[in-house]
Amino acid sequence: MKLTKVICGLCLLFITTVAQAHLLNMTDLHLDTTNPDAVTLRVKIDLGQSLLSPEEYWRMVHMDASEQLENLEPVANKLLDGLGIFVNGVTATAHLENWTLEAASLEAIENPLSPQMAELTFNFGNLGLASSTALANASIEMRIAEWLEVPWPALLRIDSASRELPVSRLLTSNDRSSRSVPLSADSAQADSTFAGKLAAAFQGWIPGLSWMAIGFQHIIPWGLDHIVFVLGLFFLSTRLSTLFYQVSCFTVAHSLSLGLATLGMVSVPASIVEPLIAASIIFIAVDNLYSHVLARWRLVVVTLFGLLHGLGFASALSALMLPAENFYTALLMFNLGVEAGQIAVLILAFAAVGWLRSWTAYTERVARPATVTIAGVGTYWLLKRVIF
Amino acid sequence: MRLFKHSEKKRTIAGIVTVASLLLVVDVAFSAMAPARIAFPLDERAPGEFPDGWIHGSKSAMDNDDPPVQVHAYNEHTYILRENKAINYEGAFMYLFFGNEVAMLIDQGSTSSPALFPLREVVDELIDDWEARNGQKDIELIVANSHLHGDHYAAWNQFVDRPNTVMVGLTHEEVMAFWGIDNYPQQIVNFDLGGRELVVTGTPGHEGSELAIYDGWTDLLYTGDMFYRGRLYIEDWEAWATSIQKLRSIADQNPVVHLVNNHIEMTAEPGVDYPIGTTWQPNEPPMQMTLEMLDQAVEASFEIEEPGIYTYDDFLIYNQIPWGYTTDP
Repeated sequence: MKLTKVICGLCLLFITTVAQAHLLNMTDLHLDTTNPDAVTLRVKIDLGQSLLSPEEYWRMVHMDASEQLENLEPVANKLLDGLGIFVNGVTATAHLENWTLEAASLEAIENPLSPQMAELTFNFGNLGLASSTALANASIEMRIAEWLEVPWPALLRIDSASRELPVSRLLTSNDRSSRSVPLSADSAQADSTFAGKLAAAFQGWIPGLSWMAIGFQHIIPWGLDHIVFVLGLFFLSTRLSTLFYQVSCFTVAHSLSLGLATLGMVSVPASIVEPLIAASIIFIAVDNLYSHVLARWRLVVVTLFGLLHGLGFASALSALMLPAENFYTALLMFNLGVEAGQIAVLILAFAAVGWLRSWTAYTERVARPATVTIAGVGTYWLLKRVIF
Repeated sequence: MRLFKHSEKKRTIAGIVTVASLLLVVDVAFSAMAPARIAFPLDERAPGEFPDGWIHGSKSAMDNDDPPVQVHAYNEHTYILRENKAINYEGAFMYLFFGNEVAMLIDQGSTSSPALFPLREVVDELIDDWEARNGQKDIELIVANSHLHGDHYAAWNQFVDRPNTVMVGLTHEEVMAFWGIDNYPQQIVNFDLGGRELVVTGTPGHEGSELAIYDGWTDLLYTGDMFYRGRLYIEDWEAWATSIQKLRSIADQNPVVHLVNNHIEMTAEPGVDYPIGTTWQPNEPPMQMTLEMLDQAVEASFEIEEPGIYTYDDFLIYNQIPWGYTTDP
């Protein structure tokens, strides 16, 4: 090993003309809104290469605190004016809370490759918002004025009590706005459409509604095999009571197995559950072709198939990670969503062919072809899930 | 609903078989039309090549007419990009890895302006070409960073409004959440880039959010700014020493073929670096490094005890040299 301890200052002798040295002293902005009564903006900036001359900055470094404040105030005010913070579109005001001015030497300040960073912290109080809820629902934008030149780019970090992770934005001389940043992650995901706003409003009233929506989606449109199974139940008979008994058994059973599997009390591999679900569709469809009344044993079979379908829902749900803090609520809401999806399927089935149930040729022209198709689809799924 | 007649029974069975057969035929036809999934096997090394030399700036940056971004295909699914040194002296390397239905851009160079440094345009073209060659479309782009220094994300904004794009973020917390690292820097995680398995772990020392990435398909070990042919600026010696030893351990456990990184600052002459901030680097050595060089750094990690500048043939260790004398933010 060749060990050479070089006098650090010699490094400066090697410096040649640099086209863009600004990256070394880029500006760092940290907006911290986690304390609703004392929102702060910490600015790390190379003042001696931007708002002050190197000589001015070097002189300021050696002043005592009161002199520093007196000399720094115009610079801080200019910076604050230029780094516009807008809360819900309204300009926020602040005062300089504290600062640190450091530099190794005048030469170091003059050299853009050896940035000497000042740190200024501005206090925005409560941003003019009456409560922490108002803060959580607020949107913040930073817009750097065209007349203000800071060492570019400027990295903005925003911390919020309503977000698990901070938000980062990069501001450049050509792109000076952070754009509106919602302080709540929920608002960030909010849809701007009417339906989206309505969903967001509902979500505010019932926190678990999103899990209900996810459960619904696991029937419509993602749960095609469950839809086909429910249609299989639908086409057994024209009597509503027949459908009611079957759907009730199916619902109770799949809710039970979904709960047990999600709690980890039952575990069956998807490679077994999925082909069996396909087989259950074939069974129900073929039985429809041979039966015209609801036999008791069929209710037992539908209940067993319900247990099977519940395991299928649990397998899909396991990929979503239920929140630990609201586990049971989320599970319940997911299940309610599944039921709602199931009811929606039946309503659509009634709307499509239900009004034909009193037609004498209904069984021959509607129920039977539909049932044969359901059996064919089940056979296709079974072959695909077993062989392919 | 009862089936009474034998002929009816036969018709029913024929109906069921027809429906199932039709669906199977449609399924098989769609599968045949879909592009084959690209395989990235770990048991055989994907070949790849480095250029004989990189575009390395010019005596007069103003007169430089080289492309702002040099694109080199290491292989058909791995691209190495370099920012023109005449645009920014950092001459930073960036990486574009492709997997099935996804691409990952690691680092975004040292210049923000799309007029000077049209990184987005170059990456979009590469993705379009790759999609056309591989029969895929609308693949997702992940915009990630090796570490959080400004010379590695200056053009980040060019991708913010890009459709179908995941911006990992520029804070430590966002980065770790994306990779699934909750115990930085010790944790080693596997990241599935569309069937291409990456091994990712924390390697602080130069910077406190730095990551190293091992690509099991090419056997490239990407070491970012913590180990490259140049001035290794180290802000936390203990962390760097641990990180370099961890890189050795990754290389012990995997058949690493090259170490790749972000800059070239050493000349071809052993122990001699280019002037700090130069925009012209004639006769550059290769960017990729060897396991022997890594061994030398590991040895140094056990020997060096004091802050200072330590010279080796292929790199310089700037151990805790005051900020004012470093060139890398």
